[in-house]
This record gives sequence, structure tokens and C-alpha cells, in this order.
Amino acid sequence: MKIQIEHVTHQYDVEVLKGLTFQLDGYHSIAVIGASGSGKSTLLRLLSGLEKPSQGSIHIDDMNVREEAYRKQIGFVFQNHNLFPHLTLARNISLILEKTRGYQKAKANAIAEEYLTMVRLQDQMHKLPKNVSGGQAQRASIARAFSLDPELVFLDEPTASLDPVLAYEVLQTVKELKGSGKNFIFVTHVLSFVRDFADYVIFMDQGQMIEHGPVQMLDNPETKALKNYMSFIR
Amino acid sequence: MKKFSNYFLAIGTFVSLVLYVIFVRDANFTLAPLFEDYGDLIWKGLLNTLYVSLISLIGSLIFGFLLYLLSISKFMYFRALVDVFTEVIYGTPLLVMIVLMAFLVGPAFGNYNRGFLGIFGLILYISPYMKNVYQSSFSSIPKDQYMAMDLFGFSSWQRYQYIIIPQVIKVLMPPLMNNFSLIVKGSALLYTLAYAELYYAINIAQSRTFLFVEGYVLLWVLYLVITIPLSQLTKWIEKRFQT
Repeated sequence: MKIQIEHVTHQYDVEVLKGLTFQLDGYHSIAVIGASGSGKSTLLRLLSGLEKPSQGSIHIDDMNVREEAYRKQIGFVFQNHNLFPHLTLARNISLILEKTRGYQKAKANAIAEEYLTMVRLQDQMHKLPKNVSGGQAQRASIARAFSLDPELVFLDEPTASLDPVLAYEVLQTVKELKGSGKNFIFVTHVLSFVRDFADYVIFMDQGQMIEHGPVQMLDNPETKALKNYMSFIR
Repeated sequence: MKKFSNYFLAIGTFVSLVLYVIFVRDANFTLAPLFEDYGDLIWKGLLNTLYVSLISLIGSLIFGFLLYLLSISKFMYFRALVDVFTEVIYGTPLLVMIVLMAFLVGPAFGNYNRGFLGIFGLILYISPYMKNVYQSSFSSIPKDQYMAMDLFGFSSWQRYQYIIIPQVIKVLMPPLMNNFSLIVKGSALLYTLAYAELYYAINIAQSRTFLFVEGYVLLWVLYLVITIPLSQLTKWIEKRFQT
């Protein structure tokens, strides 16, 4: 996967990202780490094209991330599953396939079932999100992202709102998907998961990429900020 | 069952009270002459009121939605336009609205169909209230869901049809019913345009039979006949969409 970030600045009320320029090629699973408020979730949303940067541009595999075509190639797993609450787990998937990807109803249902089975939710697929556990909902959200057969999957702290047991469940599910041949960009606080799953790491602090490199860099952090961060997160 | 009997009792209490007041005032109270000679007229009036209300309901649902869309427009001018229109309507008595529509605005555009203009006035009048209903119920959908809709590439129509409306229909129903009863009762003012709705019909019957109070009692009951089943219907819809 090829990433090009050019002079990206982004602000809400305060400036979250400041004049970011960055290029990377050849990695398939990129972890973005950093403390809360470091700008890592913002970076993820910009990379996924969900938000438009205040200034600058981002290209992934030579496609502007704000293009409609790019959007059809990505999957996004939100922090708090973000399933549509009035639809069953299965319908959360099949509705999208049917209405935005042009599948027949039967085919869409079959795909929904296939992916929910993959994340071991075949018994829960006709329940509403509020009637399953947070971990199950998050797994359904992962199934939803994958059902669209994306080239690139974004995960925004997929386990942040879950207790350790459920978080483990979800991360296990993601690991099983590593061999799917897809690219990943994800934000997490779980360092062991980063070591297992990422091949490249970007450490963010105060809206800047302080340190980045292949995942082995976590064994020898150079900056004080990263050392600090790693001593807090185990 | 207990709920049912309590409601039965409450309705009984209310009806007895009304009947008591009526017959204390006038022991010979009767609606019979109104029905005998003017039953047809009143029936037609009732149908007309229903017709007008239905048209106005549909019209204001659509026009209110357009106002809502303008109120979230990128262009400040459109948002300002909606604000100004809303404020003007808030301060306008419906009677004034209907009369000016029929005798001033319509003719200015070469339209002299008073029935149509009156109904159009009613629709315009209710629309900002409908816009409010949309505004408050749609804002209950969290921002992240809109993001997800963007991400998956739902068209704006699909968003409303599959994601937004099904979720808000429960909160949408009570204020919608409010507006509908505003419409039904407001339609009485069309009598000023000699439009043959319920109040107009009863007015004629009253003036010919001299049954003044009786006419109003009948009018009152007939409005309740329209609004109460509707309010029950909205409650039923509300329950059906309880998730």
C-alpha cells in the first residue's frame, strides 16, 4: 500500500494536525499509536476520507481519499461498533450490499450470513445490536466492514469500549483476518496487538508524527515521548 | 383488561359531566332537527373537512420537509430564508393567513380559486411546525451514524428511507399528531372563504334552525370523531416501531 500525505493541517476548534507530510510504500498493516488527543483518530479519519482536511491532500495507492471510487474500496470499523440500532446484525450488512452495491436480496443475505459466521455470530445474526454483547456487536461491525470486500480496512480503537475479555475476543477475530490479503490501518492502545499484527508503526504526539518505522522500532524507542507512552501502556 | 375498564370509566365520567351540563341548561336539548333536514349537508361538510385535512397533512409533510432541507443547506441565504419565513408564520394568525392568501396573494398571481388558495394557505401555515418536527427528531441520530452512511455510500433518499425515518418514527409521531389536530381544527377557518367544510355546513344549519348551541355541540363531537381515532392510530404506529 502506498500512502502520500502532503501538507495536511486539520482543525476542529483547535488545531489537531499540523503541517503533516509523509510518504510510505510497501507495508500492509500500519498501526497508529499515541496518547488520547494526540491526533491519531483524526489522522485515521482523514486517511479514510471520512473527513476532509482543512488543508493539504492525501493519496492512497494514487487515489485521492475524497474520491467516491476510493470510498468503495475501504472498510471502517468504528470505535463503538456504530451498527444501525434499528436493524438486526444480518440486516446491518445486507442492507448496505443491497442498496449501495447492487446485490440481489438473496445474495446479500447469503453474504451477510457468510461473514457473520466467519466471526462466529451465526446464532446471533437475527438479533438487534442492543440485544448482543459489546464484543459481539463489534465483531458484527468487523464482519460488516469485510463483507464489502474492501482493499483496505480501517480500525479505530476497535476495543476501546470493551472489557479485557471481550477485547481479546475482538482482537482474536481481527488476527484471524490477517491472512485475508487486505491492507490495514488501525489505531489501538493494545501494544501486544500492535506487535502481533502491524508491520509498521506510527507514533503520534501533539498532532505530529514523532516517530515511525517498522514494528521492530517498538523494541528500541528513540524518543522520550514514545518511551514514556510505552511505559504507561503495557 | 384493567386498563380498558379504567378508560371506560374515565370516558363515562367525562360524557356524564357533559350531558349533565347540557340538560341542566336545557331539558329539551336535541340534535334531531339538525340531522333531519341538514344531515346530508353536514355529512358533506364532514367529508370535506376530512379531505382538506388529509390534503393539508400530506402537503405540509412535504413542504415542511423541503423547509427542513433548506434549513440544513450549505447556503446561508436558504437557511436565513427558512428562519424568516418561520418567524413570520409564528406571528401570523391562521385566519389572516387564509384570507390574505385567497384575496390578496392568489389574485396577485391570477389565481381566484379560493378553496385551493385556502388549503394552500393552511399548508404553508403548518409547514414550519412540520419542519420543527423533522428537525428535532432527526437531530436524535448521532453524528457517527451519518459518518457510516457517508462511508457506505447511501444516497440521501436511501438514508431517509432505510436509516433515519425508521429510527425516528417513534419520536416523530406525537408531535405529528399535534400538528394534525392543528390542521383539522384550523380547517374550520376555511368557512370565511365560503368553502363547504364542516363548520360552514353547521353554520348554515344553525342559522336556519336557530339551534345555535346544539350546532356547536355537534361540531365539537364531530371534530372529536376525526381526531381521536387518528391519535389512536399514531399511538399504534408509535408502539409498532418501538425497538
